[in-house]
Amino acid sequence: MANANTKKLKTAKELARPEIVFCLVRVPGSSRLFFAGSDMTIHDVDLSPTKPEPKEIGTHGSYVTGLVLAGKIVLSGGYDGRLIWWDSETRKQIRVVAAHTKWIRKVAISPNGKTIASVGDDMVCRLWDAGDGKLLRELRGHAEQTPHHFPSMLFVCTFAPDGQFLATADKVGHIVIWDTANGKPIKTLEAPGMYTWDPVQRKHSIGGIRALAFSADGKYLAAGGISKIGNIDHLDGKARIEIFDWQKGEKTHEYVDDKFKGIIEHLAFHPQGDWLLGGGGANDGFFLFFDLKANKALRQEKAAMHVHAFVLDEKAETIYAAGHGKIQVLNT
Amino acid sequence: MRINLPILALLGIALGPSLTGAGELFPPTLPIEEAVDRYVEAQLQEAGLQPAQPASDANFIRRLTLDLIGRIPTLEETRSFVASTKTGKRIELTDRLLNSPAFVRHQATEFDTLLMNGTRGSVRPYLLMALAEGRSWDRIYRDLLLPDESDPKLKPAAEFLHQRVRDLDKLTAEVSSLFFGVNISCARCHDHPLVADWKQDHFFGMKSFFSRTYQSGGRLAERETGLVKFKTTKGVERQARLMFLTGKVVETKTSKDSSAKFSARAELVKLSLQPDQRDFFARSIVNRIWHRFFGYGLVMPLDQMHSENAPSHPELLDWLARDLVEHGYDLRRLIRGLVLSRAYARASRWDKGEVPQPSLFAVARVRPLTPMQLAVSLRLAVTDPQTLPAPSKPEELDKRLQGLEASAASLARLFDQPDEDFQVGVHEALLFSNGAIIEKDLLADGGDRLLNRLRQLTKDEEAIDLAVQTILCRPPRDEERKLLGEYLQQRVDRPVEARRQMMWALLTSAEFRFNY
Amino acid sequence: MVPNRRLNFCGSPLHIMDRRGFLGVAAAGAAAFAADMTQLNVLQHPLLAGELKKQQKRCLLLWLAGGASQLETWDPKPGTLTGGPFRAIPTSVPGIHISELMPQMAQRMKHTCIIRSLNTRIGDHGGGAQLMMRGRRDEPNLKYPDLGAVLARELGRRDSQVPDYVSFYFATEGRNMSLGTAGFLGSRYAPMELYTSMVPENIRRLDGINDLDHKQRAELRDLLSKQFAQGRASSSLGSHNAAYQRVRGLMASEKLFDATQEPPKIRDRYGPTLFGEQVMVARRLIEAGVPFVRVARAWWDSHGQNFETHQELVPELDHVMAALLDDLQERGLLEHTLVITLAEFGRTPRINPSLGRDHFATAWSATLSGCGIQGGSVWGKTDAQGERVVDGEVGAAELFATIYRALGINHQKNYHIGSRPVPLTEPGTKPIKAVLA
Repeated sequence: MANANTKKLKTAKELARPEIVFCLVRVPGSSRLFFAGSDMTIHDVDLSPTKPEPKEIGTHGSYVTGLVLAGKIVLSGGYDGRLIWWDSETRKQIRVVAAHTKWIRKVAISPNGKTIASVGDDMVCRLWDAGDGKLLRELRGHAEQTPHHFPSMLFVCTFAPDGQFLATADKVGHIVIWDTANGKPIKTLEAPGMYTWDPVQRKHSIGGIRALAFSADGKYLAAGGISKIGNIDHLDGKARIEIFDWQKGEKTHEYVDDKFKGIIEHLAFHPQGDWLLGGGGANDGFFLFFDLKANKALRQEKAAMHVHAFVLDEKAETIYAAGHGKIQVLNT
Repeated sequence: MRINLPILALLGIALGPSLTGAGELFPPTLPIEEAVDRYVEAQLQEAGLQPAQPASDANFIRRLTLDLIGRIPTLEETRSFVASTKTGKRIELTDRLLNSPAFVRHQATEFDTLLMNGTRGSVRPYLLMALAEGRSWDRIYRDLLLPDESDPKLKPAAEFLHQRVRDLDKLTAEVSSLFFGVNISCARCHDHPLVADWKQDHFFGMKSFFSRTYQSGGRLAERETGLVKFKTTKGVERQARLMFLTGKVVETKTSKDSSAKFSARAELVKLSLQPDQRDFFARSIVNRIWHRFFGYGLVMPLDQMHSENAPSHPELLDWLARDLVEHGYDLRRLIRGLVLSRAYARASRWDKGEVPQPSLFAVARVRPLTPMQLAVSLRLAVTDPQTLPAPSKPEELDKRLQGLEASAASLARLFDQPDEDFQVGVHEALLFSNGAIIEKDLLADGGDRLLNRLRQLTKDEEAIDLAVQTILCRPPRDEERKLLGEYLQQRVDRPVEARRQMMWALLTSAEFRFNY
Repeated sequence: MVPNRRLNFCGSPLHIMDRRGFLGVAAAGAAAFAADMTQLNVLQHPLLAGELKKQQKRCLLLWLAGGASQLETWDPKPGTLTGGPFRAIPTSVPGIHISELMPQMAQRMKHTCIIRSLNTRIGDHGGGAQLMMRGRRDEPNLKYPDLGAVLARELGRRDSQVPDYVSFYFATEGRNMSLGTAGFLGSRYAPMELYTSMVPENIRRLDGINDLDHKQRAELRDLLSKQFAQGRASSSLGSHNAAYQRVRGLMASEKLFDATQEPPKIRDRYGPTLFGEQVMVARRLIEAGVPFVRVARAWWDSHGQNFETHQELVPELDHVMAALLDDLQERGLLEHTLVITLAEFGRTPRINPSLGRDHFATAWSATLSGCGIQGGSVWGKTDAQGERVVDGEVGAAELFATIYRALGINHQKNYHIGSRPVPLTEPGTKPIKAVLA
């Protein structure tokens, strides 16, 4: 059961950055990270020294928003629409693929490390062979325009633990679960509360589903974003999580945070299912631990920055988080 | 322009031996109306102008009722006034109106507009109390600038400062304009060096009286120390002193430990009412009140009362200011004097060629109604006069009229507050032409509505007479009887509609829209 | 009875040869045609159209309420840490690059001058809106007219049968802070504001009265009022009667506001969004002789998610503005119509933690296209990060002087308030000559 709940998160390390860090991956069993962001550059850093010194691996033509690790290969995707394969040892570029005609929002890797999924604002999810970079499938199930005639955005994709299923979600709160074996959509879910369009208060939206996570048993799919916006000036909506028993097509939880406003940018389940962790922010950042059984937040904590991504270590004891001008290591 | 001796002699005015030259004022014992007419008519004579005829009784009661209590007279009020053969009936009417509760309400509306226009606040609740109690203008000034917020009667007065305290430049400029009749903000940077009187020292000197005022926990507060720094146009940094418009400086407390509480705002109020300093205060309110009743100030514009912008009637302004001060800033007394003058009671029509300069007051000005005057008058004009309590029952009538005023408030918001050289916007004409509130509310034919009465009058002539008398407060002229008669005749198949349209044409006529 | 005013205009081209008398005829004619025909025929009349094109100058303001980002539109800084994710793309004019979010405007650069060097200093919505709507800030005792009111007065006709200042502002964002205002020019020049409906308020006759009665009761009103006006000289009184005399003409212009009057081809061109539809209607108004129209497109105040916001809003602006310039050009109206993009201010180069950009009045951009403008040009320059102006700095006054001059109006012209002369722009203000054609 949840055991770390009464403690506060403790900052173990902070690394200030000039850029906004959008994504990171960790080499398993180590404190070595790859991270990338608004400086359009992928960095490699070992956080164990007192003064870590990040090294540049290479650059994209725009913001870098997706990073995955396939063995010794680092794979990055960015707003330039490209996927780039890098050798993590030699820091050489191995392969560049013009993967999407619009921004790549997220890159995911299957649990067996063989398949790469990328989503972008061309509203297509593409599956790639992690080894040779061949396009395996195109998954099309998200409308290119919002109901209000603006370009939609396909923000996120994630693989289920068994690797067979893949979920994608977009700006209007439309979720599709795909069977990667045949590329067929097998379930669609709707989370319209994530779409923040309001014809009176604002004629544009800043919401959408920004984070997805499957529970370890594959039963639940959690989606994160922001609730109805009060003032368009800023991210004036409550952080929002909706959880589905996706195979039944049922929404099991709807959580609207009572403490933090802002977007949930990333979600991850505890490996044993103790809790769901969300990270995100507005002008400040936050983490929140959600207990599915009790259907309530266990802990709501301020982060040192707006969190864009995080990874948990194998025991879910350490959080490696990346965000606005900072990388932070926290102990749960 | 100064009155010269031969003219005074011509008028047969006895001049005391002390009068050695122009500028000596008529004695303070004269009734106000008498002083007004002597000064105004002297100048007309000098210009060789015969003023316009006196306004008819019907014209006079409409003008006076609008000016004093903010609405047109009722049918019965007009009729009985016109029919009366009493001498002194105009004085009697004036006093009756000045002493009615409606006068207080209308004054409160007028002063609230003056004081709070352009802000989001209102001091009307305070003004209602203050005017009902007969508070003088200097007292009202003090209440507005030094409101004791712990006193529930005075708390609403604090809105004056609350609405401005976050913009001290605005507060400084508006206090100077509203109470002293001078616009010191524009002298700073305009290409015409209009006024040698106003230097940066004056603006920042006046600002210094307010710069210590701030809001704390929703209440007004004031620091005891602190001065304004400014850069001169030549880029030199200076520290302003607490300096009034006359150049008089108040020495400020230099250290915090001195025991007496020092309030810069209180110092301004005190200083500006001192005998050698109060000219700005007294002359400004005289000019503003004059402007309200004559449609044109003795000094124009109203906030340009400085040495290079002489009044049209300097002695008259001096005389009235002296009179006001000597009578404890009693505005009701001033108003009474102004409206009893011949100058106030002239006709507004000029048939003798080119219209004289407005500053001669040879003919009454045509003045647009304020939003509230227009709205209340509309509400009253569409009411069946037979449903109104008789003038002999003033309390009942006033109660009914208060109801009309309440329902007029939302209507009033649809109209623009007239300013100098007011231009009626097309949105007003569109509102009257096609607005649902006009057609379905004002022109409804329900129980107490004029239209209900009109449709019961089967004879067109009777309907025309009643409509014109109720709406325009005078009997129809022959050509109007004919014109309206033809209009109704062409619509015999729809007499109610025809009468509604006739009412519309009268309500939207220029005559109704203006105080003339 | 009163003669039908419409009959005063016989419609014969021979009667409109007199150039001095032309404008009145054209304006009245436009309303008459609009009232009587399902199509806007005034411009299909070759002589009338020709004269209109020669003489009438017009202005259409695209007001980007909340403050659009110069970095995501007209002054991109790609490759810098604060430049954001969007690329710059070349335009049809060599050397000029704009944001990749504006590919259509990039192809039409020859019509447009970008001013990249605005430093207007005021960074709050209310103050910024006042400054950029009026070219100056109010003085405590003087309310200035805004651009629309000045142009209504300078380019419109007093007795115009069409509205002379129309403002579309459906969004609630910033509306109360940037209301159109005629200031000291008075209500005659106040805007016809459209907040919620594409049909102006009170422009349509109620069902309760038939058209003939509506017309004849107005004539009755007119007669009664004229009698009253005899021997009474007052400009307020004159304005009251003038306002009523414009009613029927304005009612006839209702069709101008009806988007469905445009052929599907044109409607498709502007696209399905509200902004597109309003700009298309603005063009109809301009075409019929309305001298000034503002279309406000709000929600640019992107303190959060600046890039997503601009990704939604800029392509729409790009598309609609390009459609407008094409449409005006095809009708021969572009050289007589000044199209402006403007806001309260721009946005900071710094990206805040909500991935937003904040208010920034120090170094931002506006554009002028069409009438009187040197198209295909850029005025002024900001530094590498876009943090300050390094060349050709201009403020609101210079921008307004330039706008007035582009429209053939002396920017130093005086209005008078009593005896006080009030110049259109502060004394000593110079228009940007290089921007003027």
